[in-house]
Amino acid sequence: MMDDKDMQTPLLQINQLTVTLKKRQALFKAVDNLSLTVNKGEILGLVGESGAGKSMVGSAIMGLIDKPLFISSGEIYFKQRRIDINAQPFRGAEISMIFQDPLVSLNPLRTIGSQLVETIRTHIPLSKSEALERAKRLLEEVGIDPARINAYPHTFSGGMRQRVVIALALAPEPSLIIADEPTTALDVSVQAQILDLLKQLCKDRGTSIILITHDMGVIADTTNRVAVLYSGRLAEIGKTYDVLKNPCHPYTKGLVAATPQINGASLKNKLFQIPGSMPDLNSIPAGCAFYPRCSQAVSRCEGERPALFDNRTACWLFDKGAKPK
Amino acid sequence: MSYVTASRLTRRYDLSDPWFIRMIAGRKTNVLTAVNQVSFSIEKGTTYALVGESGSGKSTIAKMLAGVLTPSQGSIEIDGQDFNNPGLNNANKKLLRQRVQMVFQSPYASLNPRWKIGDILLEPINAFNLIEDKASRHKRVIELLEQVGMSAHDQMKYPHEFSGGQRQRISIARALACHPELIICDEPTSALDVSVQAQVLNLLKDLQNENTLTYLFISHDLAVISNMADKIGVLKDGELVEEGKTSDLLANPQHAYTKMLLAAAPDIGAYIS
Repeated sequence: MMDDKDMQTPLLQINQLTVTLKKRQALFKAVDNLSLTVNKGEILGLVGESGAGKSMVGSAIMGLIDKPLFISSGEIYFKQRRIDINAQPFRGAEISMIFQDPLVSLNPLRTIGSQLVETIRTHIPLSKSEALERAKRLLEEVGIDPARINAYPHTFSGGMRQRVVIALALAPEPSLIIADEPTTALDVSVQAQILDLLKQLCKDRGTSIILITHDMGVIADTTNRVAVLYSGRLAEIGKTYDVLKNPCHPYTKGLVAATPQINGASLKNKLFQIPGSMPDLNSIPAGCAFYPRCSQAVSRCEGERPALFDNRTACWLFDKGAKPK
Repeated sequence: MSYVTASRLTRRYDLSDPWFIRMIAGRKTNVLTAVNQVSFSIEKGTTYALVGESGSGKSTIAKMLAGVLTPSQGSIEIDGQDFNNPGLNNANKKLLRQRVQMVFQSPYASLNPRWKIGDILLEPINAFNLIEDKASRHKRVIELLEQVGMSAHDQMKYPHEFSGGQRQRISIARALACHPELIICDEPTSALDVSVQAQVLNLLKDLQNENTLTYLFISHDLAVISNMADKIGVLKDGELVEEGKTSDLLANPQHAYTKMLLAAAPDIGAYIS
């Protein structure tokens, strides 16, 4: 891992980002007032159930938000510069994205070499042969034999394909990679290899990664910090170990307790289950979004929305200033 | 006597080109052995888990157990009866089929989008002629829905109106409809979120305790398996490389492949302790 000092430098800063869905004249907030920082060389995990807005945050950073969604407020700063919400060309070079399904993100009719060369030459002014050399180096870096540069995507296995996708993402030498569920479609052993590869890239190149996943195990294995999202809002953020070991927010507690652990003793016990399910966008409660499912809710949770206390958790139980408990 | 006994189970797939093309091009036959000499047994009321990577033959074994695929060699006995026994007449085959049901991986693909939930649950009941009377059939559907934690008015809805976890509950209710004894769960939670996964796994455990069900549980997730299974079999390239009681196998894996799987599986238990 990187030095702690490097990790203090913010690379990406999201301030009060709100992504709104417009549907039949009504407005719903898919991401609600979210603030995050990603430091240099760190892996930040975004975790939550499906529909929590994890991927939406990734799309917002990449400028991929499309109708009927739009960014209604908020600012994104990248390397201390504010980036225009609609400037796509800039982002491909500095920020790249890895998607869940490697079969869908590669063009099946073109060799991986030609896809790599195209990506490299879009972002870096190089001749064809120079770009080809570079493509070979990239393949080597992600652990693929450079001799296979003229192979087609279908000749690779799922894990190998995901490596090709990572090589593509690395091609413009980005300082930030957004990996949206990069290992969900893969086997455990291949998943471990891909996660190791991502960690290694962070270490060697100082690249930052935002890792979007719903798997707490992957979060534990890979990330430095983790942000837990619920209904498009930040529920908790902090160092991965702190958050998983001593979760503050009742939702995080529930997620950790619901995750099966590998040990033989757990067989006879039932898993913890969070009652109910995440609210639809059109019925998010006025106060804390988690209030209806929360076992520790107090009266003010219903009407008032908690701020982020101690830069850690958005839960009224951790509001030290206001009331003695 | 074990409830399920699979002995020297083998399944081969012929991937050769057609005969004429083979003759012209001078190619050889190409046979893939998906499952090779696998033997295991499951006691009544317990859960046996098969773990392995994609292509290891887990689902092929599941299909053979459900009587959907015929083994190339070997035999499966479920409560002393074999699907592929030539002496088994159609009526008995049907009875056996009724006792083995399956829950599939994707609840999005395994429910017919044009059928109402009530019709989906009625299908197995009608197929096996379990209940003659229309009113009691209707009652049974409501009973099934309540058994999996859903409400009676859900029977009028279509699958798309439900979330993934609810759909998987419906799949489980459908499997329960004809009073099975063995349920084959083929990756039942891999398409679900953790919190929903916990609900579905707990439901499966409760149903097992209430109805003395036997499960064959297929998954690639060792954490899920360690919470569900009494016994684990590890499959690699169609062969059973290791088998044992869950606690023994996890604490003291013998085969290199099992060790590799355990090392590769992300586990928050080890991380926070």
